Amino acid sequence: MLAVYGQHWRINVLTALEYRENFLLWAAFAVVYHGSAIATLWVVLHTFPSMNGWDFRDMAFLYGLWMTAHALHDTLFFGVGNVPEYVRDGEFDRLLIRPLDTLFAVIVIPGQIFPDELILALVYLGITTWYAGVRVDAAFVFCVPFVILGGTLIELAINVIVATIAFWFVRVDALRWIVLQLEQEFTRYPIGIYTRGVRLFLTFVFPFAFMNYFPATYFLHKPESALGLPPAVGLLSPVIGLTFLGVAYAFWRFGLDRYKGVGH
Amino acid sequence: MALAVRPPFRLEPYLEFGKKAIAREATYRFDVFTSIGSFALRIYLLRMVWVALYARNAAPHGLPLHAILTYSAVALLMGLVLDVDQVSSLYTKLHDGSIVSDFMRPISVPLYFFADGTGEVLFHASLIVPSLVLALFIVHIDVPSGGTLAAFALSFVLGYFVGFCINFILNCTAFWTLEIHAVQLIVTWLTDLLGGELVPLVFFPVALQHALFALPFAAMFSTPLLIYVGEIGPDRYASALGIQAIWLVVLALASVVIWRAGSRRIVVQGG
Repeated sequence: MLAVYGQHWRINVLTALEYRENFLLWAAFAVVYHGSAIATLWVVLHTFPSMNGWDFRDMAFLYGLWMTAHALHDTLFFGVGNVPEYVRDGEFDRLLIRPLDTLFAVIVIPGQIFPDELILALVYLGITTWYAGVRVDAAFVFCVPFVILGGTLIELAINVIVATIAFWFVRVDALRWIVLQLEQEFTRYPIGIYTRGVRLFLTFVFPFAFMNYFPATYFLHKPESALGLPPAVGLLSPVIGLTFLGVAYAFWRFGLDRYKGVGH
Repeated sequence: MALAVRPPFRLEPYLEFGKKAIAREATYRFDVFTSIGSFALRIYLLRMVWVALYARNAAPHGLPLHAILTYSAVALLMGLVLDVDQVSSLYTKLHDGSIVSDFMRPISVPLYFFADGTGEVLFHASLIVPSLVLALFIVHIDVPSGGTLAAFALSFVLGYFVGFCINFILNCTAFWTLEIHAVQLIVTWLTDLLGGELVPLVFFPVALQHALFALPFAAMFSTPLLIYVGEIGPDRYASALGIQAIWLVVLALASVVIWRAGSRRIVVQGG
């Protein structure tokens, strides 16, 4: 399995080097994409200095946690998002007869993946950690990688669930788009600004709040925590991520057993 | 091809192209639901964000909460039309080489893309009705006076054509590069930010505002929106619409030049 995974990365990097201009353009897009989100936050908080007690420095850090988890997900598990496409054109049937686990087979399909977004995210996270005045001690250095990993697993779990739904409904573009939007736009702000229903949804149904809000509340020593949970729940991200991924994987296996294909 | 006798111009074929485009777009039901669903989600999100910001801070001059909610709602409704890349078929045809057969037809190829794009946009414009109804459940949208609405409509039309030219030019770059997606996404994101679709340009630092108002992105979203909410008053209509018109002329001329240069050097990959 490890050997296969190594090959996967070798091909990815070689592909990226082969299409160099295209790679550079996509790297530029990653900068514009995250840059415009951060610039929007900056402009808004330039006019309105406080959002529920969070200022721009806090929000920049909040975005950094999400961005890093998201970039790590896109780097490692990008292929999962392609499952609906594979199901549609019948490519998925071919993966079913691979000797290794089907989800693993999906993940190791090479693309033009290069860890440019991840590098960008790590640099940005480093800068905002300093900028937001987060105390960097041994505990912080130990916890942050786990929190990031937890966020990555949460995103992976959601994508596995959406991919599984494609076994039945084939075209899930609409659903995928809406889930993506929920994640990217609703994680940008402290969830305290949302109605109680949305907060509960982002905490317990699709636990995106564990990607950045709860950990940020803990690291920034924010007094309030939405839903009255103690700030230390922020450190539970990896546990939430693993649990959620477990549920998602069980659903994936359930779907796989009933997978019929679209008839090619 | 240039030697062929040009048939007299007739409008009917282009009307047909437009109708065909409407029918084609209507077949993708899922995309329709996505647009409307995502529209509702965003308007709900924006309402919560602005309400939270206005609750804890002093309202900026000239834009009270109800005005900013109106601004956001109208911006999203405009996005249903302005965010459509109505010339994407040009890229597709350049990419798979089928553009060649279009050049052999007795039609004006740019006009064909214009008709096709207009049909596509008209279909998306029809989504404004259900979206507006949905939006009214979520936020209150102010309705300005008739004169303001007329100025807004004119400004919106100018903005639409500016957007059309930008999309046309972007798709034309495929004559040279064959691949345009990354560049296109970069421009889309810059338009969202610098055009004032997400945040009104009047919230930007004053030094930046002057530069931003002069860019074509502002001509697409910001100018019609600021007219709608009254931030640009009747005394400034002439200059605001004038800047839009200048951009339209510049970009339309650029489109013509790029199209001429591009269509002379068509490269078709393989067979």
